[in-house]
Amino acid sequence: MVQEHRSLSGAAAPIGAVLLLGAALLLGGCFGPAPRPAAPSDNPIPPSPSSPALPPPSSPAASTPPPEHAQPVPRENHLSPATRSLVTQAHSLAAHGDLDGASSTLDRALRIEPNNPLLWIELARLRLLESDAHLAEGCARKALVLASGDRDAQAQAGRALADALRAQQRNPEALEVERQPFMH
Amino acid sequence: MARSKFRRRIGVLILACLLIAAAVTAIWMVHLDGVVTREFQGRHWSVPARVYAAPLELYVGAPVSAGDLEEELHRLHYRVGDPASGPGVYRRKGNSFDLHARRVRFIDELRDPQQVSINADSNAVTALKSGDGADLPVFRLDPAVIGSVFPIHGEDRLVLAPADVPPLLSSGIKLIEDHRFDEHPGVDVRGMLRAVWANLRAGHVVQGGSTLTQQLVKNYFLSDEQTVGRKVTEALMALRLEAHFSKEEILVAYLNEVYLGQDGSRAIHGFGLGSEYYFAKPLDELDAGELATLIGLVKGPSYYDPRKHPDRARVRRNLVLQEFAGAHLIDAAAAERAASSPLGLRPPGGSYVPAYLDLVRRHLKRDYAEADLAAAGLAVYTSFDAHAQAAAERALASNLKRLDAASRIRGSHLEGAEIVAEPNSGDVVAVVGGREFGTDGFNRALDAKRPIGSLVKPAVYLTALESGRYNAATVIEDAPIELKLSDGSIWAPQNFEHEVYGPVPLARALAESMNLATVKLGLDLGLQKVSDTLQSLGLETAPALNPSMLLGTVEMTPLEVVQVYTALANGGFRARLRAVHAVLDEHGRALKSFKVQLEQAAPAADVYQLDRMLTLVVTHGTGRLAAARLPGIVVAGKTGTSSDTRDSWFAGFTGSYLAVAWVGYDDNRPTGLTGAAGALPVWVDTMAALKSASFQPVPPELVEDRWIGYLDGLETTPACSADAVQVSLPADAVVPKKPGCSGARAGAATQAAVSPTGTVSDKISTWFKSIVH
Repeated sequence: MVQEHRSLSGAAAPIGAVLLLGAALLLGGCFGPAPRPAAPSDNPIPPSPSSPALPPPSSPAASTPPPEHAQPVPRENHLSPATRSLVTQAHSLAAHGDLDGASSTLDRALRIEPNNPLLWIELARLRLLESDAHLAEGCARKALVLASGDRDAQAQAGRALADALRAQQRNPEALEVERQPFMH
Repeated sequence: MARSKFRRRIGVLILACLLIAAAVTAIWMVHLDGVVTREFQGRHWSVPARVYAAPLELYVGAPVSAGDLEEELHRLHYRVGDPASGPGVYRRKGNSFDLHARRVRFIDELRDPQQVSINADSNAVTALKSGDGADLPVFRLDPAVIGSVFPIHGEDRLVLAPADVPPLLSSGIKLIEDHRFDEHPGVDVRGMLRAVWANLRAGHVVQGGSTLTQQLVKNYFLSDEQTVGRKVTEALMALRLEAHFSKEEILVAYLNEVYLGQDGSRAIHGFGLGSEYYFAKPLDELDAGELATLIGLVKGPSYYDPRKHPDRARVRRNLVLQEFAGAHLIDAAAAERAASSPLGLRPPGGSYVPAYLDLVRRHLKRDYAEADLAAAGLAVYTSFDAHAQAAAERALASNLKRLDAASRIRGSHLEGAEIVAEPNSGDVVAVVGGREFGTDGFNRALDAKRPIGSLVKPAVYLTALESGRYNAATVIEDAPIELKLSDGSIWAPQNFEHEVYGPVPLARALAESMNLATVKLGLDLGLQKVSDTLQSLGLETAPALNPSMLLGTVEMTPLEVVQVYTALANGGFRARLRAVHAVLDEHGRALKSFKVQLEQAAPAADVYQLDRMLTLVVTHGTGRLAAARLPGIVVAGKTGTSSDTRDSWFAGFTGSYLAVAWVGYDDNRPTGLTGAAGALPVWVDTMAALKSASFQPVPPELVEDRWIGYLDGLETTPACSADAVQVSLPADAVVPKKPGCSGARAGAATQAAVSPTGTVSDKISTWFKSIVH
């Protein structure tokens, strides 16, 4: 027979209420206050206009473009009602020590909105709770890339990344992340 | 005197013999008693692992049309009817569905039956409500069973608990097979004598005198041989079994053990699986007629096989129904109704997907012994998507048929493979291992290791971008090249059409898959650097460092290609491919779960720039068929053709899926097909059948979109140059301007705005049509 048994329920039990509270707080922390009616959920980027706005031809100013063009368009990420309900469910499972359940619930949410940085931040936080800092790092880095242009999401992803790096004793890299402009 | 002495001796001898016989019998009985209690007490049904598909998620906006939804409900064997009548039933009115969902176990929850209402239009779900009318944010349908991992000539079964046994089944089986079951002690002497008498009168066996207990003992403990000794053992064991266990325990064990049919090498055991195998629904959804068919089967599963001998099965069923009515288990009218209805057989489960199950089995073998998979009753939850699988199967089969018909090779029998994955998570959703996709056989998707041809080129161009010395607009030289190899031979690669293009921007060299420009670029970067890139993308063994490696002499399986391309489709993150999400034990406890694993394989900004170039493959280069056949969807990808057109490849991705298709001959003959002619149509048809979002990656910081001339790489505007294309460049890249045009930065607002057809004027598109890659 298969000897392996679910380690998480066993591990979660002795850690007790402190961790559970911590789980709720941590996960809760990544979960914005009152989510607004979401933009199309699987398409966090607003669709581009069909014909791009172009500078008038042979305008001398256009040859030295202003630096702000290099900045991505500011935007905000939201959870759709479906993923929001799954994230809420995952928080509740995690708070009751069922980290496996929380993990597969977040998996469902990711299948619905794979490009939403908020979900990758949630997943990174969950991996940290599971003490899997290496996997947390991957999720946090992915979240950071997807959060480009969204200061709030960038800061949350950055914090998760710094925590994941610290948990791997990579403090200098964590500090470097924390020094990024989006962290302030 | 002597005679009486002799008699006494004989008497003693007989007595001694009797005593010895009694002692032996007693010892034997104790032994049998031990066997019965020990083995039956700790009875463990051999239950193969069941493999489940990913459940279809429904939410407002889910890309599931009304047609898709109904197709899925059929796949899950939901019946049309009044949903209030019980689980497993739905009703459709126009685009609205009322559904009574079954009790199902998911990885994270055991969900009780519940009623939901779903509205869907021709594209997506538009409303989702629970039975009481409240909005439901998200709801998943049942995870379909896609197969079991059973051994050769193995038993397959679904184990029933006492509570799962419908009352009509338990009273019905007793009535038909052993009507004195509740009274006899395991052996029914009266029944046995009656059977002997009937058989003697008939001159052959017409009646069996075995009780259910004896039948169970025979199946569970003994061999099939018909000897007196075995019959006696069977009777004694039946008595001991009844002495130790309750009637209910024995009956439920019987219902789980009994053999009900054969599906190839798979033996169908027990009423739980019997119900699924013959009627494709759970036992508690069977009506009286269906239960009567199953109960009737016990007498002779092959003789009364309802699929092979429907007439015999119908007569037998009606006889059983008559008995039911005679014993007042059902009323006469119900028996009449059931007897006049069809058998109601349905094909078991979904279609057989051996190639995907093969991947699941290999995945599980890392953690589980074969014996556990075959017998321990595990539930394996996968990312399998029946819709994607069907799309890939159809696309491969129809294209290979068409290509065979058009082939100049007599008796052409092309083969192929395709894998579809979700690149963000690495979830493998479909695997097709060959054109005979419904049968076991060589799984090309996992095992055909073939040269990948130009599929390797994105790794060369990514290395170039990572070096910081090149960007999409950098002009490189496509010119004849001759290299002296280490063995002294001369290597002189050619472009596919033996043309020479001269100076070309990087973006065009990749889009049109130019060999000479790529070799020159790769040699400048260094073979080791390109090899490093390939390995960080996920290639497990280092390729041999020959210059020909730059043109894809490295051999990979379709699965390995998918692994390498996940990083390109996922912003530089390599997602470990995942077929299995979790394994649950027979009680629904999680034994193991497999998590999303991402590793940053390349800087996101470099991969973003590369991906934008890969969209040009489809709009302007060798993959133009995709843009024409998938209008309005931005896709990125790369064609690949190995030397002498032995292998035809396409690897590409949309915003929703990454798929890799391969076409070739098993004996490695040249096909005469480029990647664009062979594998690309397979890929395109697959994607067209799936609802795919555009590939619109989030633009990272420090890069920006600019218009360049596709032909000369000079910065321009669409107004100024008919061949203007949008590429992504490092924000600080200096690009020479086209004389007379103002340089135009497209700005991030227009990121990913390259529409498959939209940016090219009519004039230039006519011109592009004349390009031969």
